[in-house]
Amino acid sequence: MIQDAAKPQALAPAAPRAAAINRDLFRQASVLIGCVALFAIFSVLTSSFYQPSNLIDIMLQSAINAIIAVGMTLVIITRGIDLSVGSIVGLSSMIASDLMSQNMVLGIVAGLVVGLVCGLVNGLVIAKLKLPDFIVTLGTLSVYRGAALIYTNGQPIYGLPEGFRAAFGGQLLGVPTPVLLAILVAALAFFLVRYTALGEQIIAVGGNEEAARLSGINIDRVKIIVYTLSGLLSSLAGFVLIARIGAAEPIGGNGFELQAIGAAVIGGASLFGGVGNPLGSLIGALTLGGLQNGLTLMNVPSFWQYVASGLVVILAVYADRLARPRR
Amino acid sequence: MNAVALSEGTSTTRRPMLAMRGVSKTFGRVSVLNNVDLTLRGGEVHALLGENGAGKSTLMKVLFGIVTPEEGVIEIDTLGAVQVESPRHALSLGIGLVSQELSLVPQLDVAQNIFLGQTAGLDIVPRGRHREEAVEILKSLAPHLRVDTPVSKLGMADRQLVEISRTLARGGRIIAFDEPTSSLTPQERDGLFNVIRGLRNSGKAIIYISHRMDEIRAIADRFTVMRDGRVVATDSMKGYTDAQLNEMIAGRELSLAMEGRPPGLEREQAPLLELRGLCSERVQGVDLTVRPGEIVGLAGLVGSGRSAIMRAVFGVDALTAGEIRVGGAPVSIREPKDAMLAGVALIPEDRRGHAIVPMMTIEQNFGLANQKRFAWFGALRGAMRRAEARKYVSDLQIRPSAIVTPIANLSGGNQQKVVIARWLATGARVLMFDEPTRGIDVGAKTEIYALLRRLAAAGVAILVVSSELPELLLLSHRIGVVNRGRLTQMLDNGSHLNEDILMRHATAGSLS
Repeated sequence: MIQDAAKPQALAPAAPRAAAINRDLFRQASVLIGCVALFAIFSVLTSSFYQPSNLIDIMLQSAINAIIAVGMTLVIITRGIDLSVGSIVGLSSMIASDLMSQNMVLGIVAGLVVGLVCGLVNGLVIAKLKLPDFIVTLGTLSVYRGAALIYTNGQPIYGLPEGFRAAFGGQLLGVPTPVLLAILVAALAFFLVRYTALGEQIIAVGGNEEAARLSGINIDRVKIIVYTLSGLLSSLAGFVLIARIGAAEPIGGNGFELQAIGAAVIGGASLFGGVGNPLGSLIGALTLGGLQNGLTLMNVPSFWQYVASGLVVILAVYADRLARPRR
Repeated sequence: MNAVALSEGTSTTRRPMLAMRGVSKTFGRVSVLNNVDLTLRGGEVHALLGENGAGKSTLMKVLFGIVTPEEGVIEIDTLGAVQVESPRHALSLGIGLVSQELSLVPQLDVAQNIFLGQTAGLDIVPRGRHREEAVEILKSLAPHLRVDTPVSKLGMADRQLVEISRTLARGGRIIAFDEPTSSLTPQERDGLFNVIRGLRNSGKAIIYISHRMDEIRAIADRFTVMRDGRVVATDSMKGYTDAQLNEMIAGRELSLAMEGRPPGLEREQAPLLELRGLCSERVQGVDLTVRPGEIVGLAGLVGSGRSAIMRAVFGVDALTAGEIRVGGAPVSIREPKDAMLAGVALIPEDRRGHAIVPMMTIEQNFGLANQKRFAWFGALRGAMRRAEARKYVSDLQIRPSAIVTPIANLSGGNQQKVVIARWLATGARVLMFDEPTRGIDVGAKTEIYALLRRLAAAGVAILVVSSELPELLLLSHRIGVVNRGRLTQMLDNGSHLNEDILMRHATAGSLS
């Protein structure tokens, strides 16, 4: 259907402009429509889904994934993938909460630095050693998780400062701070992709790496930056996680990578590179969060929810495959 | 044996072995094949003529099931109308394609490659039988080949023979050759011609694509000329002179533009680009100078190292020795960024693979090499970039002129102009063009030639690599010949120089 819609336009002289804008609009619109449709369905199927308190709950539950998904989106636009995000959540939140017992600011800074360094290592290995992103981050997924377990010998850390919990798990003007954080992060990333030279380089690297290189763009630098940002945002998401739970577990963030990739792809990012929108990923995270919440309300066992969200992610990738114009 | 083969050949001449009728194909907005007919008789070598971008290769891809046409039928004498769905299907229909990029697996041996894909699923591969049959096929075709040699150890000519054998092993009757001699020495070429003549005499139908008129003369019985995706003429080779054929290939419009040689040049100026003993993995000790206003052409066989010289200068391939000077000063170029800063530009051969980002607009593609200039502390200066992009779009007559058009929707010629604009905007003083008109229609080609001359007149130094020798003779003040990584000749362009002389130099010393 998408191809049919694009074809007649392609023949008219003034068409390319319209076709391009339409394709982008179509992508964004279908992301939003999909989300709204899902929410509408659950509102009909259950009596509690559309209650304001539940909707805020969904936003709150989706916020952590949204923050990670924004970083993941940047990586995916470069035609990369970051499987280690969940482990970075675990490791950075462990170290942050441990140091927070001495000094809150020290803990926060340390947590962010850990996330940044983890991402930097991913980026350096991928860009400089020219290793496949998939294998590198699959490896560091295990390495960072192992480090988190080693750090406290597998024990959780309890007792976080109240100020920290209020900042990352509280409310501001009636809106949960995690939601505000997610929106802020997505908006900043949107600005980065749309209105900065770096953003355009990120698209160019994913769209045609060789063309970008032959245009004098520093490919390595672009890759290192996106993986570093992905790591940094993962540690930020880790703060929200532990602030809400009130404790840090070494296995925290387990499985987050699929959720984040799912949110990015549902939000319109293409695993084939060169395409993606951080604001779309925000909606993608909301869609996945709504799906899980709705299934829970319908008393679908949580084991089945794994199956459902996995299938939805694969479906989204397939939709992207279909939307790609074929040669 | 010969008599039998001949009678088979003549008996099938009445009815074409292959008929392609009304084949049309568009890519995006560009019509690459427009109602194309091609008929082929058994026992003939049929030359498919046309410039780069005329649609010959696409037609072959349709025949071989790589590209699905929007319209048209393919008829085979023994089978009637067929729909070729895939290369695998084409092979089973008796159609084979020997292209520049061969579809062999280098790690497997000759016999394995010949029978690759013939055993299905989990069936045990009958190695012994395959070897015997391979020996049988190779006996007449290439008796010097051993069936257990890994293909990775074979040269280009032998690999082609393996590819042909594979087609024959499938009972191939229609075999297309797409520029098979572009990387062969004259001796290897003669060998290939003998093989092709043998195939013809045994009643096969051969399609032969080449740019070299002397090859066409030597081997073809009939011809079809394509231009801009249409068939211009199809007839017997007899009764046509080379000049007549060339005129049909180029079209009247281009033959006018093809006239003349580049305007004169002041030779006193110091060179803008100077290479001293340039060496890389594929380039050996190249000395070369290009003065401001000068266009220097580089001729040579495919794989001779023409493009490798450009890649070395541009920092794509690492230098192992030698010096690059731009405007008299030595520069250190380790990556494309360094070349860019030194005022050197490369417009690569593979536009889709190496030059454009398809999901970006004209404006964004234009801006790619100018990211620093079009940004203020990292934020894009949209208004400034738009203004400049519009200026180049109107100056180079890029169509469509809306700069928000995705570049994927442009024709090859217009995409090329955007890439050229990208580099002009960097203020580059040395422009290197690798096959500047590959896959570009005739009209755009003329425009690109005019643009190159205009740029030279404005004092830029230009280096051009091209496989189309008439193009080099038209554009260049001097032409260098590259042979096995070395610059073996540097010839002043003039009426004394022609394609034959260039070709002789390009293939010289290949006897060993």
